[in-house]
Amino acid sequence: MTLLEGQGLSIAFGGVHALDDVTLRVSQAELVGLIGPNGAGKTTLLRLLTGILAPDAGTVRFEGRDVTRMPIHRRAQLGLALTHQIVRPFPEMTLLENVMVAAALERTLRPWRAIASVATAAARERAMALLRRLGIEDAAYKLARNAPLGYLKRMQVARALALDPRLLMLDEPLAGLNNTEAARFADLIAELNAGGIGVVLVEHNLGEVTRIARRLVVLHNGAVLAEGAPREVMARRDVRDAYLGAEAHA
Amino acid sequence: MDYYLSVATFAALNVILALGLNLISGFCGQVSLGHAAFYGLGAYAAALCSVAGLPFAVALLAGVLTAGAFGIVVGIAALRVREDFLAIVTMGVGFLFLGVVRKQDWLGAEMGIARIPSPLDKTGYALLAIGAAIALLLLSLHVRRSWMGRAFDAVAQDEDAARTIGIDVAGYKIAAFFLGTCAAGLAGGIYAHMTQLIVPDTFNFIQSITILAMVVIGGIGSSLGVVAGAVLLTLMPELFRFINDYKLLVYGALLLAVMRFSPEGLAGFVRRLTGWRPA
Amino acid sequence: MYYAELLLIGLVWGCTYALMALGLTLVYGLLRILHVAQATVFTLGAYVGLLVANHTGSLALAFVAAAFAAGVLGPLIYRLVYQPILDKPPFIALVASIGVLIAMEDGFRLMFGPYGLSFASNPWFTSTYSIGGMTLNVVQLWMVAAAVVLLSAFALFAARTRAGVAWRATVSDPAMAESFGVGVIGVRYTNFLIASVLAGIAGVLVGLLNNLVEPGMGSVISYKGLAIIVLGGLGSVPGTLVASLVLGVVESYGTVFLDKVMDRDAIAFLFLIVVLMVRPRGLLGKAH
Repeated sequence: MTLLEGQGLSIAFGGVHALDDVTLRVSQAELVGLIGPNGAGKTTLLRLLTGILAPDAGTVRFEGRDVTRMPIHRRAQLGLALTHQIVRPFPEMTLLENVMVAAALERTLRPWRAIASVATAAARERAMALLRRLGIEDAAYKLARNAPLGYLKRMQVARALALDPRLLMLDEPLAGLNNTEAARFADLIAELNAGGIGVVLVEHNLGEVTRIARRLVVLHNGAVLAEGAPREVMARRDVRDAYLGAEAHA
Repeated sequence: MDYYLSVATFAALNVILALGLNLISGFCGQVSLGHAAFYGLGAYAAALCSVAGLPFAVALLAGVLTAGAFGIVVGIAALRVREDFLAIVTMGVGFLFLGVVRKQDWLGAEMGIARIPSPLDKTGYALLAIGAAIALLLLSLHVRRSWMGRAFDAVAQDEDAARTIGIDVAGYKIAAFFLGTCAAGLAGGIYAHMTQLIVPDTFNFIQSITILAMVVIGGIGSSLGVVAGAVLLTLMPELFRFINDYKLLVYGALLLAVMRFSPEGLAGFVRRLTGWRPA
Repeated sequence: MYYAELLLIGLVWGCTYALMALGLTLVYGLLRILHVAQATVFTLGAYVGLLVANHTGSLALAFVAAAFAAGVLGPLIYRLVYQPILDKPPFIALVASIGVLIAMEDGFRLMFGPYGLSFASNPWFTSTYSIGGMTLNVVQLWMVAAAVVLLSAFALFAARTRAGVAWRATVSDPAMAESFGVGVIGVRYTNFLIASVLAGIAGVLVGLLNNLVEPGMGSVISYKGLAIIVLGGLGSVPGTLVASLVLGVVESYGTVFLDKVMDRDAIAFLFLIVVLMVRPRGLLGKAH
């Protein structure tokens, strides 16, 4: 069953075509790696899929439903969760509180019901469990603005998981992590996927992505260049050229 | 005795105004430099009702709902613009209110509305105002603890991130504006009946800034702090009579000093001193 | 004829606004601060100009003195008020600026009295000039002339001089500018200096126009200035200039047609709000 389908997506910024007729499909519980050289349009595609940007052309369907014009928070409520490339925690909340706000989605759904709702025990337990799952429960009471990057990245994933998502979109979660940390985090993402959550992973860390992804999609200059099993895709000449060519000109 | 009742009533009204603004700006992070307009809307709506012969309770309710309705409109407008723009738009709302009211003959134009019926005596108003202030304080404290308060907090800290975790940012902003402006409308209604005369100039930008000063000096975000700020700024001109002449000079200097040395206001000061964070 | 005259008056007001708003846009562009306290500098310029004019009888000297006083106060406000809180959220700077504004307005009231002062001899006030059947006050002409001269001078400065280029670089990318050896602190002081001098001169002109200098004269123009820079797209100099003129004209026509409905200031802000609802980034605003 197709979980997410971005069909024919195009968007231009002031004359520059960031994405040109891009189609991306993600199946239930699939781990798709979205790769490509800098400026290929990966983050833009992610933003179109989550609703931060609206496409000039094309549609986005989530679990069969057209969400192209649906606001971000509605997509999140439907089970489409996102983590940001540059971590965006709520700085004045603790890591636990950060996750709690997401864990209480039922309670925050409607403002006028939220005013009557004070109970935090359930949300706190869920949040704590998620922090434990991500291995960061030792920093639960640390203010987000004082927490180290690795912890914040994991907190972001915990916060996204708190929504009980069917699809997780991760924007360069391994950036800034050293080799060991990156490998561990990648393993964790693979585990989450094995548990039944679809994952779209935008990453530069090719080693880890090719290891855990079931399928790779390569973007180059705003269009899909190649798609398929990681090994095959990475062996392709044009994919290598795209990366090396881009680097040679960078 | 009468004098003390008056002062107490004004302090209570200021508490209501400040708590309302705190809800919008402190809890939900939406800058609002035009809060006096809603104070005025409440006053005028209530005054018109009373002058037309409607019962006191109806007049007060009219004041609350009129202010709240316009609050929703402004809240919706606020969705379109961000931060810096919002400050100026809300400032503009204040000037717009003033500029329109001044020219409407049916609102008394520059002379305002006089001979507003006054169903209560001084003690009555004091009790009403103080009662309302206490109720609003309790409501504020409750909202803070509730999931609405937590959602407000998320919106205030990072509204884009809040969206990605499913929070209906627009709905919450409008809710904040509604609650805060309803409070201002209530204060306006009580004020109109108490003073029996309302003129447009009472609800000008300086009034908006005065309310802001109470919130900021008390400690934006902290209900108790804001109450302290409101009481302090109401009592100050009374306790130190000579200050009355220099009122704005003192307010301005205080605002400046607080922003420079303790942006979290009195509440922040207390927190640094004792470790206890006033709610 | 009537409508042409309204247009002209609107443009004259627009020039006044432009002198004020340019300073605001300069400060915002550089520091993301809404410099409401600009009103203070404006009013100080007006008072100093008036006092010097009344004492010496020389308007030229008055302008120089006003420019000087304003040029000192502005950067001083930067140093004492804004610089210590640059790292805090912009709301803090805005509130601090408002604090300065209302404190100093009261200060002027205490120093010079609440009713305002007049020029002892104000030859421009009474003399008029006729163009094609329309009469303009000489002060209004000087207003336009000043605006044109000063703004052109600024444009030249920004485009041609080293300091101007350094300024533009700092506005678009402070970190990069610094790594190229641009003294960012110096740029900031220059910024406030220019903004303040413009405001101070505008203050004298408005004082001459109304033949009255009073404590609150700066505030409404300052608030409108903020509305203008928002309309023009925050931080955009051309946008600010266009918006200033547009607002002046809108007010001019508006006060005639909407006279029974709302006053001048309400018209200005209504215009602002309507424009922002339609174009949230302002008339000429760019995307963030």
